[in-house]
Amino acid sequence: MTILWVMVIVLGVTIPVLAMLLKGVLGAARSITPTVGAISGVAAAASTDLDAVIALVTTQNYISQVVAGLANYGGSLAVALPDA
Amino acid sequence: MELPVAIILLFIVVIIAMLALYLIATIAELIKINAGLDQVLVKVGEIATKTAPVNGVLDAVNTTLVAGRNLLEGLFVQKAGNDAAGLVESAFPGEGPRFLQRVGRTGTVVPIGEDYPRGAAILNSLLGVAPAPAAPAPVAAASGPSPSVRQGGRITLRGSSAPSSASSVAEPPSEPGRLSARGSRPWER
Repeated sequence: MTILWVMVIVLGVTIPVLAMLLKGVLGAARSITPTVGAISGVAAAASTDLDAVIALVTTQNYISQVVAGLANYGGSLAVALPDA
Repeated sequence: MELPVAIILLFIVVIIAMLALYLIATIAELIKINAGLDQVLVKVGEIATKTAPVNGVLDAVNTTLVAGRNLLEGLFVQKAGNDAAGLVESAFPGEGPRFLQRVGRTGTVVPIGEDYPRGAAILNSLLGVAPAPAAPAPVAAASGPSPSVRQGGRITLRGSSAPSSASSVAEPPSEPGRLSARGSRPWER
């Protein structure tokens, strides 16, 4: 009979402890959800911002043309100006 | 049924119900998190796809720019000779030693000064104009060059006076044969 009462006491202590632990886990899980939503929004915005990256190819072509023009200009200067 | 047994059974039922309630709620939240992470994964994949060519493009751009810079610096050394580093130092203080290091030369960098007479003479000879006066009068500058005599210019590397107003910053050359390197460095804007 005594052991039954001991079990009652143990279970009575276990219930609030278990409730507290489960509530903590649920709270942590619920706090992750809005963070994931925020990350998703930022990732979408970042992905949109990177739409202009493809223009780097055009920039690369322009830079190649500019450097080629500079090379031609330098070649002309090399002919036009006397050496030191 | 004895009282302790009934209480134990009641506690067990409460524990099971509590476990079920909280775990189901937690599972629901984890499902939401999973769905959100799926969306994030898609967006991150887009970012990775869009940024994939950046390294190659930037490497190519840098290679092209370095080649152009080396070409122009080589030409500069060829044409200006020992004056090259001094010219760079006069136009952009502090750049002379780095220029020497880049072109693989050693020595002391001596600034040329405000004007570069040799360059002005070469430029004036190419333009077929007379050398510029040492200090052009403001009245003459305002009236413009004479139609019969073309005045040559000067190559000014730095202004002699401290900048005092906004009008002194990076004025475009208005005289023939005049080059000005005043103002801030373009790559530092």
